[in-house]
Amino acid sequence: MLARSARGLYWVGRYLERAQHGCRLLAEQLDALEDRPVGEIELNWRRVYTALGRAPLGGDLAFDLADDAFMLADAYTLVGDLALEAGNPDAIRNCLASARENARQVRNTLDRELWGCLNLAFLGIRDVGIEDIWKDRPGDFVRTAEDAVRTFWGVADSAMYRDESWHFLRLGRYVERTQLLAALIDAQLAVFPSHAHFAESDWLSLLRVCGANGAYGRLFSLQVRPPLVINFLVTDPHLPRSVRFGLAMIIDALDVVSLGEPLALEAGRRAGRTGARIDFDWPNLDLRDQSATRAMLHGIRESCRLLHDDIRAAYFAYEIEDTPGG
Amino acid sequence: MSLRCEGRIGRIASPREALGRGNLRSLRDITIVARRPAGVACSAGLLFSPNAGTAEGMSGGDQTTAGPSASASGSLFSRYVRDPAFYDEMFDRDGVPHEHCRALWSALREMPGEEILQMQERAERSFLHEGITFSVYGEESAQERIIPIDIIPRLVSAAEWEFLERGLTQRLAALNRFLGDIYGDGRILADGVVPVDLVRGCPQYRIEMRAVEPPFGTFVSICGTDIVRTHEGFMVLEDNLRVPSGVSYMLANRQAVKTSLRGLYRHHRVRSIGHYGALLRQTLAELAPSGVSDPTIVLMTPGVYNSAFYEHMFLAQEMGVELVQGSDLLVHNGFVHMRTTAGLRRVDVIYRRIDDDFIDPLTFRPDSFLGTPGLFHAYQLGNVTIANAPGTGVADDKSVYAYVPEIIRYYLAEEPLLANVETHLCRDPEGLEYTLDNLDRLVVKMVGESGGYGMLVGPHATPDERADYAEQIRRDPANFIAQPTLDLSCSPCLSDGGAAPRHVDLRPFVLHGRETRIVPGAFCRVALRPGSLVVNSSQGGGGKDLWILPA
Repeated sequence: MLARSARGLYWVGRYLERAQHGCRLLAEQLDALEDRPVGEIELNWRRVYTALGRAPLGGDLAFDLADDAFMLADAYTLVGDLALEAGNPDAIRNCLASARENARQVRNTLDRELWGCLNLAFLGIRDVGIEDIWKDRPGDFVRTAEDAVRTFWGVADSAMYRDESWHFLRLGRYVERTQLLAALIDAQLAVFPSHAHFAESDWLSLLRVCGANGAYGRLFSLQVRPPLVINFLVTDPHLPRSVRFGLAMIIDALDVVSLGEPLALEAGRRAGRTGARIDFDWPNLDLRDQSATRAMLHGIRESCRLLHDDIRAAYFAYEIEDTPGG
Repeated sequence: MSLRCEGRIGRIASPREALGRGNLRSLRDITIVARRPAGVACSAGLLFSPNAGTAEGMSGGDQTTAGPSASASGSLFSRYVRDPAFYDEMFDRDGVPHEHCRALWSALREMPGEEILQMQERAERSFLHEGITFSVYGEESAQERIIPIDIIPRLVSAAEWEFLERGLTQRLAALNRFLGDIYGDGRILADGVVPVDLVRGCPQYRIEMRAVEPPFGTFVSICGTDIVRTHEGFMVLEDNLRVPSGVSYMLANRQAVKTSLRGLYRHHRVRSIGHYGALLRQTLAELAPSGVSDPTIVLMTPGVYNSAFYEHMFLAQEMGVELVQGSDLLVHNGFVHMRTTAGLRRVDVIYRRIDDDFIDPLTFRPDSFLGTPGLFHAYQLGNVTIANAPGTGVADDKSVYAYVPEIIRYYLAEEPLLANVETHLCRDPEGLEYTLDNLDRLVVKMVGESGGYGMLVGPHATPDERADYAEQIRRDPANFIAQPTLDLSCSPCLSDGGAAPRHVDLRPFVLHGRETRIVPGAFCRVALRPGSLVVNSSQGGGGKDLWILPA
């Protein structure tokens, strides 16, 4: 397939994943606004902003722990920032707009329904303001946006021919997901001190963001233990929002598209090595000293970054050795 | 692309009201209303009674039935006021529907008006949702706009179409022969049928095309001829032989109208146009360089910012070929390749939707970033086919146009079937004299200009303006041509809840590879503003579905 088309699809996958990640973080946060104590909400915001690598308002989050009204006013601004802010490239609306714009440019490689799904989702939120979404239940906004992404993948999964279009689309999706997950888990460790007196709810909410609370309960117990949660979200090969699962999907997609090209093989090897490190070297979380765990997480994030560069060099922007012309 | 960003956010003192949680429309309820020019029905504001069409006889378009009272209880056509100066596509001079329009007319007048309006809105919404849009250059806010559709189809009888088909085939055959001749031996120039300086001096004449021989002598393989109709019959207004667009709107309009007027469409046994993509692909495949049995075809677009990008994407998808930009292609050892995920792949046929000037910066405009360096050289070597061939613009030039009837007689020894609009060339002494004597009745155009620039519309100009213009003509007569003002035919269109006559033209698409192929359909353009003759989509024009009826 045309290199530019592959790149477009890869970015559709990435932006949709980023949009969905934003939706899930916000949905969790909006839920917390209903009944959680202010202190917990503040920590949750820190986790969100640390995970996204974005500076919160005015440089720092400082809540007046005694005043709910201020807390809500802050939430109003923060939700606007993460959902709609034009200057925030990772805001949900911007991610959906970028996904749609990339899709528009490579529309001929996508099924009609897939384009329609993105176009409708974008047109539906193009002109809304934070006042609009706040007046009703703000959760509706993120649910609708996430539904659009889910519908897209549902249709893609059930209808797309499994050629390169499909593989580059999911390559983008899982490179993004793996990177975002590693960043989120790292932020969790940075923000919530996991000494003996951790709050269960902080870790439950992390499981919920990753859609892992149900499976965790069935597999382990209803009692939440940070080392188990972290292990689960990083190493479990059956959890769609785990780092290991994401890497497995990347390895699988690369395996199909590589065709023995040296550069492409390099990307596959990198993904494979990262997966193997998780399988064999993942340390159990030490509640007093998290440094080994966090170093591994940093390594995974760095691998994802390099993986992106590999894919780009192998498929989208490769060098042609002879000079063009005549 | 990175996650990090120095975004601007500040703590805002949000009004307390903003924290309230009243009921707001959900996202799904937000409707998007397409932009339409004023005076065009857009919302179901004016409704008819369901018991429409009782008091009228056959004279649905008769002036006498018009009146304020008719709108309250009349049918779709009760306020339809024909202007006898213009041919009407639905009614004859007595206000009686043409034979082939009768079934449509009687069905429409019995249909509740609100139903028709809803169809119209649904159709336009579907265009927006599917992204069937075009962009108008220089308009920031409306980057993606839809072409308004008028839901009432225009009907063409089998006999009319058969005539058009023969006329178009004849015309394109002659024009291809003409291009082969002027870039080859130049017989027609030597014989003095068409003046040499007219051809060689034309800015669209590409000297680089000398002695290039495309397969089957096909220079123009895709042509979109603008045809108008007056009381005298069909006339060719313009041959678009470069990169004609609009075929996607023909197909989109059909899709929208077909799903709205289901029973009617079926009843009329309208001829199908759905195979256009397949025919286009077949045509392009035939033009592959010799020896290539399974050619790789691509569609070359200037990119997503081009006004017709939707169409490029759509056609690539219909044909199942890659949509490439200049930067996706490169020329190596005289062959054209595209960059794929698995390295370079040879390209054999390029359907280019990019102007001559921008194809290849090495041959044409050096400042162009849209093209591919070396592409024209590969073409000259015969290693790739470019369709349409470069340099075809010389044959749709405004003054060469005047010679097309002669060109047809010269090459085919036949009388032209489709009439030309009477054109006076000021380069000829008689033409100049006639133009200057009749300036108040003519439209005078500058040869090198397009889009209505440098034009004098005689009947609408002041005596002073005419005198100034006459002076310009005298200074450089060769730069001007004159044509009578045209009485474009009218077709019923929805307006303010009823049907009203609006001027229309049609653009059929003629394909020619080894042979000529025409899908039975056309993009019918409508001037949606009352009285306007401008059908361009950038200036308030819209589209209509055109139904060609079986014999």
